[in-house]
Amino acid sequence: MILLLAPLIAAAAIGGMALFLRVQRSGQRELVGRVLEPVSGGAQLPSILYFTGETCTICHTAQRPALRALAAGLDAGVEIREIDIAVEPELARRYRVMSLPTTIVLDAAGQVTDINVGFASGEVLRRQLVDAGMPVAA
Amino acid sequence: MAAVPFDRSVLKVNQAILMTVIVAGYVVGLVYHPIAWALPVLAVMMLAAVASPAFNVPRLLYLRWLKPAGIVKPRVVQEDPAPHRFAQLVGGVFLAAASVFVITGLLLVAWVLAWIVAALAFLNFAFNICVGCIMYAQLVRIGFLPLSRQPAR
Repeated sequence: MILLLAPLIAAAAIGGMALFLRVQRSGQRELVGRVLEPVSGGAQLPSILYFTGETCTICHTAQRPALRALAAGLDAGVEIREIDIAVEPELARRYRVMSLPTTIVLDAAGQVTDINVGFASGEVLRRQLVDAGMPVAA
Repeated sequence: MAAVPFDRSVLKVNQAILMTVIVAGYVVGLVYHPIAWALPVLAVMMLAAVASPAFNVPRLLYLRWLKPAGIVKPRVVQEDPAPHRFAQLVGGVFLAAASVFVITGLLLVAWVLAWIVAALAFLNFAFNICVGCIMYAQLVRIGFLPLSRQPAR
């Protein structure tokens, strides 16, 4: 009857794994307020880092269209940088990207102000850009 | 690898088989221990499916019976199948490890590994959470699985 423990142990193992992922994700929250990349000269507006991957379906079907719609209504100086984690794994590691899509909002100084894991709507991102210092009229 | 038309229903059939056989096998196995030998059969099924589509039993079952009979409808998406193959490989390796424990008589460990596979199959089946695919993305990210790609722009 010791076999009755099998599903409980498996549940504990999966729960432990989920906890590990959660701890890693909270580690990503520690990046808020930090500058991980020097800002290229003259940037005076916040920007968005959009981490994606070829195999990320929701990135292509939802996140990218949302970002394109958002970009259409923004000042041209607000950069939305698309990063394929397979092409730039070092950058993904530096920003502790654990799942796709991830969008990270940076202020004009390159300081992380918001991190969205999973789909983030254009409305949310726009609000975060404003919080990061984007002029409301932009 | 490029995104190609990919029928997700094949994965769903595979996951349904895994969950059904493992859970049913476990329940029967509480009173009839030799049923644990179903785990090596599942391991072979999973690893063969990774090796070649020609040996993919769930795929053949889907294409030859479930789809023509209208029992399971196709769900074709443009997707790179590599992460899903990797996820199947992970499941196959877990079941192969479970098989070793079946052979050595450590049935508790064997069923724990099998339950992990069943639980992960359930996550994918019900919620489209593919843990193996997440592992694949992480391995690509750290460069353990290098992909030859050109920069996006």
